[in-house]
Order: sequence, then C-alpha cells, then structure tokens
Amino acid sequence: MIKRRSFLIGAAAGAGVLGLNGGRLLAAPSVLSSSVQLMPREGSGPRIVICGGGWGGLTAARHLREEIPEADVILLERNPFFWSCPMSNKWLIDVVDTAFLTHDMLAPAQAHGYKLVHCEITEIERDKKQVRTSRGVVDYDYLILSGGIRNDYEAWFGNDQTAIEQTRRNFPSAYIPSSEHIALKNKLKNFKGGVIVMTLPPPPHRCPPSPYERACLMAWHIKTNNIPGKILILDPKPRIAPIGAGYKAAFDELYPDIITHVPNARVKSVDPFNKRISTEAGDFDFDDAVLMPPHQASDLVWRADLIGKDAEGKPTGWADMHPRLYHANSDEDVYIVGDSMGAISPQFGHYPKSGHVANYIAKIVARNIAQRVRGEEVVAELPDNLCYMLVNGDPLEAISVEFLYDVGPDGLVRQTQIDIDVRTPDLMDEDFVWIKGMFDDFLV
Amino acid sequence: MSRPPRLWISSATPAKGEIIRVRVQIQHVMESGFRLDWNGAPLERNLLTRFEARLNETLLMEWEPGASISQNPYVEFAFAARESGTLRMLWLDDRGMRLEAEREIILSPA
Amino acid sequence: MTSSFEPDRRRVLLGAAGAALGAALPLSGARAQELATTAEAQPDAAESDRIAAEFLGGVAPLAEGLAMELPATADNPAAVPLRVHVTEALTEDLWCEELIILAELNPLPLACRYRFSAATGAADVALRLRLIRSMEVRALARLSDGRVLEARAAVEAGVGGCGM
Ligand SMILES: Cc1cc2nc3c(=O)[nH]c(=O)nc-3n(C[C@H](O)[C@H](O)[C@H](O)COP(=O)(O)OP(=O)(O)OC[C@H]3O[C@@H](n4cnc5c(N)ncnc54)[C@H](O)[C@@H]3O)c2cc1C
Repeated sequence: MIKRRSFLIGAAAGAGVLGLNGGRLLAAPSVLSSSVQLMPREGSGPRIVICGGGWGGLTAARHLREEIPEADVILLERNPFFWSCPMSNKWLIDVVDTAFLTHDMLAPAQAHGYKLVHCEITEIERDKKQVRTSRGVVDYDYLILSGGIRNDYEAWFGNDQTAIEQTRRNFPSAYIPSSEHIALKNKLKNFKGGVIVMTLPPPPHRCPPSPYERACLMAWHIKTNNIPGKILILDPKPRIAPIGAGYKAAFDELYPDIITHVPNARVKSVDPFNKRISTEAGDFDFDDAVLMPPHQASDLVWRADLIGKDAEGKPTGWADMHPRLYHANSDEDVYIVGDSMGAISPQFGHYPKSGHVANYIAKIVARNIAQRVRGEEVVAELPDNLCYMLVNGDPLEAISVEFLYDVGPDGLVRQTQIDIDVRTPDLMDEDFVWIKGMFDDFLV
Repeated sequence: MSRPPRLWISSATPAKGEIIRVRVQIQHVMESGFRLDWNGAPLERNLLTRFEARLNETLLMEWEPGASISQNPYVEFAFAARESGTLRMLWLDDRGMRLEAEREIILSPA
Repeated sequence: MTSSFEPDRRRVLLGAAGAALGAALPLSGARAQELATTAEAQPDAAESDRIAAEFLGGVAPLAEGLAMELPATADNPAAVPLRVHVTEALTEDLWCEELIILAELNPLPLACRYRFSAATGAADVALRLRLIRSMEVRALARLSDGRVLEARAAVEAGVGGCGM
C-alpha cells in the first residue's frame, strides 16, 4: 500500500518535470515524496513525535528516551542546526561568539538515541494521529508541540504580504532562530547614526525582559563607538517590566542620551516604506528599526487546531491546554511545551515564555508521559524560571528575575516574582553557569 | 534557593570625602504575619529585623525595617568616603538568619 | 494506525490542593489575593500621628530640607520606590541622627527607622514600600543640632495585591 502510493506520487512528480526534460520520463526517488512513511516504527514502546527541535523539543527528546527506553522518539525540526536565542543579545556585542550559540543537533540525537528529521511540518492530522511533513508522513501515539512562536505580522498588515516582506527584510525582529539575528548584528555594526525604533510586542510574548536587554546592549555599542544614535523603545506596557527598576537605573545612568523608553505606545500602524510608526503614545519617524510584531503560538498549534478561544469566541493566539498537565484540553495525547503554551492561571496569565520554562516543562511532560505509559499515576509538577539580563558591557553587569510557583488554596497556580534590580558582575557569571547547565541537558 | 546579596557601589576607589552610593538587595520573603496558608492559618512572621553598614568598625547606617518593606528588600544609601577600608554589611531576620557582604574601598591619592 | 499500546489515562495526581482543578479557571486573581491575607488598612492617620509625635518629642518639624521622591501613582503597590534625603551638606559636626518613614494607612504605619552617625557624611536612602491602599507617606529626620525635618507625599495605589 505504502509502496504503491509512493510510486504513484513519484511518477506524478516525474511528470511535472516532463516539459523541462524534453519528453524523457524522469522518476524522482520515492523518498522525495511528501506522502511516504517517514520512518518505520521501532521498539516495543509507544511512538512519540516531537514537533520543533528548539529548547523544549530537544529537552523532551532526550528525557523521553531516558524515561521510556523502549519508546520510538522522533524529533522533527526545520532548521539545519541549533541556534540559541538566549545569549544572542550578548552576542550582538561579542560577549560570546557565534560558536557559543550554534550547535550540532546530530550529536545529541546520537547520544540519546532519538531520530532527528530535518523537515517542514506541514499538517497535523489528530484524527488520524499523524503528522505530515515535507519529507513524509509520520504517525504517533503521543505528540509534543514545541514550535515556539510565530510573528503575528497580520495584526499590523492584514494580508498585505508586500508590507510584511518589507518589514521582515529591512527591520527584522530577530526573535525566532533564523538569519534575522545575523542581519540584526550586521545592521548594528554598520549603524552610522540616527534614530532606531524598537517596538515591543504586547504581553504575552517571548522572553519579556529581553527586548530591554537588547536595547541596553545596542546602546552600549552606540556609546562606546561614539555613534550619534538614539534608541526609542516603544512599549505597549505602562511601565518597564519585569526588572523595571533595574532597567530604569541602567537606562538613566548608563545610556541617558541614547535610550528613551516610551510607555503606553501600543502600535496602531506601521509604514515600513516611509519609516513611520503610529502608536497610542504618538507618531514616530525612524532611520532604522527592530520591529517586533505581536507574538502567537507557533504555526504548529494552529495546524493542530488547538488554539484557545476567548469569551467572545475569538482566537487567543495560544494553545488551549490543561494548566497543570500540559496536554491539549481537547486531546490528551497532544502536549504543548514551551512558548506556545496557553494561559496557566488568572493570577498571572502565562508562564514566562523562556528557554528555562521550555526546558522545565519538557522534562515534566517526559515524566508524565512515562507515568502514563507505565500505567502509574500522573504527578502534576510546576516549573520555575530564572533569567539574567546584561545591561552593561564594561564591567559586564547583569540584573535578573526569578519566578516561583505554588498552588494556592483555591487550586490555582500562584506566581512569586523576584526582580533583582542591583546590577552586578556576579549575576553575569551565574548566567554562564545557567546556560552551561541547560546546554549540558539538551545538547552534548 | 539561598542566593548571595547583590551589591553595587558607585566607586571602589573614591577620592577622600567623595560621596559613595551603595545599592544592595537580598532575596527574602518579608513574611508580614498577615498572610494565611492553604488551611487559613497565619503564616509565621519572618521579617528582616536589622540591616547595618560599617566602614571598618565605624557605623555608617543601621536600618530597622517592618512589614511595609517589600519582599527582597532593596537598600540604597550614601556615605562620605573618609578612609580606606572594608565596607561591611549585615542582615538579620526574625528566624535568626545572618547574612553578610563586604567590599574593599581604597581611597585614590589626591 | 491504532497503537498496540494502551496506557491508563484516568489516574491523575494533581498535588495536595489541586484536586479540584479542572480545565476551567473559575476564580479571579483579586479573589485569590483576598483569601490569602488578613492585613487591614488603618482607618485614619491617628496611629501614624502618634508615632510621629513620639519621634518629635515636642519639637516642631520644619517643612524644608528633607526631599522625598515618590511616584504619584504606584503601578505596583507591592514595591513602590521611595527616596528620601537631607538636602543640606552634612559634616562631622552636623549629621542626621535618625530618620523614620511612615506609611500612614498601612496596618503597621512605621515602615522603617534609620540611624546614622557623624561618620556617615550623608543621609540619603532609597527603599521599596508595599502599600495596602492610596495614602500619604511621611518622613521625619532628626539632625544632631536638634532640628527635625519633615517631608510628605501622596501616592495613588490600587486596592489589594500588595503582597502583605
Ligand atoms: C533575544 C532573546 C533572548 C532570550 N533570552 C533568554 C534567556 O536569557 N533565558 C531564557 O530562558 N530564555 C530566553 N529567551 C527565550 C527562549 O529563546 C525561548 O523561550 C525558547 O526558545 C522557547 O523554546 P521553544 O521550544 O518553545 O521554542 P524554540 O526554541 O523557538 O523552538 C521551536 C522550534 O520549532 C521549529 N519549528 C517551528 N515550526 C516548525 C515547522 N512547521 N516545521 C519544522 N520546525 C518547526 C523552529 O525552527 C524551532 O527550532 C530569549 C529569546 C530571545 C529572542
């Protein structure tokens, strides 16, 4: 059955090339078809497919293999290698080099015994318990979605693809692992002066404190190179948060002539052709920009039809999921890990969309799936979060935020936030210890 | 979860008489004694009771905080650097916690 | 494409208090906060005034010389930044002996007390207050020459959520 189908598709693909090849029939190898079975099943245990090999997905893959040695674990990832967004702001001013951020993904796959397939995930068919990719179809018993975020440019431009492309190409947000990071660094290196506008996404968004860190480090570059430049942070929030006092002290004391923070500046419209942006706090012209549109759950959650709805029936943009067990509310065999996760509690909304939380939740989900596979009770566990943000280039001084969680008397998850606003070099040292621990966990 | 005090000073090599600004923050619950646990029983009070800063043995500042002070107490103060020496800080709480931090201050020659 | 393998999906342990939690999230955040504290605001400034009178010991406070920086509205009542400083130059012969901060309507109005010495050479402090509601914050500083300086400022704060 499988063979016949792939043959047919292969033949069809060949027919497509017919015109180009002067009438000679050229049959493409069947593996080039997107309908073949991607992998035969292996092992006596369940097959677990992980969509997205970033912080959450790589962690889940390793820990599932350790928790359930008999499981057949397949990790699907579009990018050819791993790029770490954490530390990428520090990389902008060469606190770390490119080799620090980029990693081989084959080595962890080999070391932990999961299969890594580089492909584009195109459809998630939960009714058939299968995932379609650019390289074939794969079926699952359990599915983990860890696709991170997508940039919701549509919120600004509707379906105006020309405006979206103009924005993405000229004013990349560099919030998703891609060449946008390199484009941003080159932009900064070549910056000769003028006003750089930075739009912050409205909450919830990926790594809430990191846009301010990026502003500080870009300002550090501008300051140390005596560039006549300014950075205008257009913040939809009424104040800087988290670590507001620490960031404010850094802006005022280290970059008083460079950084201006504009609160309540929710974006109304963007004109990427004439470099003009209109916000609720006024209109601004810019010479250059880092335009971060609103964030949403990755395409994967939309394709799986697992986006939540608000009271008015409109999409929340994030996964509709159980706040303690991390599976979809409508499908307990599909787990959502990392930034795509939906609201957890009315007290604080979402878990911080951080690599730390993605890693933590991925480990919990691996344990929870293992408990189900063994027929044991599923133990609900809570994460914590820790982020260090560099604000000064010399000395290297960082501030930090920590979030702790417990369950209140009403059964709801509660959040305690600990902002450390005093900038110190030891916090930067701890950041290096933190990321080494993370990389040791999910890379090799 | 015990983390060291986070300390920033405006200069470690001030001129004689220069005003030095100090910021220091620790992680502490500052449990007011008003909060209730899951069963509705009050959580035992645990506040910082004292902070002090000395340059060598000389007292620069002492602070008695109460329940109105935020969690993870942030302390900022200023002093005139009249001599070189060790800036020593000390925190005590209701449960007998004792935390210390210090930093060398060296007057730069005029 | 049915899987050969059928785990037990019904038994779930939600930790001590979580058992009642379903997919829905019924209570508002404000309610969750209310349940968790017995802290009550002072009805008026009487208790704060009593502490101030004790500090003054009959001396009339001066309205000049003590500066207070407090935001007019507290975005986050759990950590309201406050800076207080004596504006005149302090020397080895004139210093600030003691400084108190009063959060007039907090359950315990005396927020904190500072003592300095002749060696300090400054009286300039910053801290963060948690405020149970909108109120006046008051600072009193006693100098070594017997003068007492006073500063006051009002701050607007939302009810609850101050973490006290
Ligand atoms: C500048 C910056 C600084 C940050 N700093 C920190 C920090 O200091 N600490 C911290 O904890 N966090 C930090 N973060 C946040 C952190 O990067 C994210 O929270 C984390 O990556 C989330 O993990 P994830 O698995 O959900 O998503 P990701 O790590 O983004 O992984 C998702 C993966 O899914 C893949 N994918 C998506 N769709 C498809 C598809 N259709 N087909 C195939 N593959 C697909 C993507 O290519 C990607 O590799 C920072 C982020 C940024 C941008």
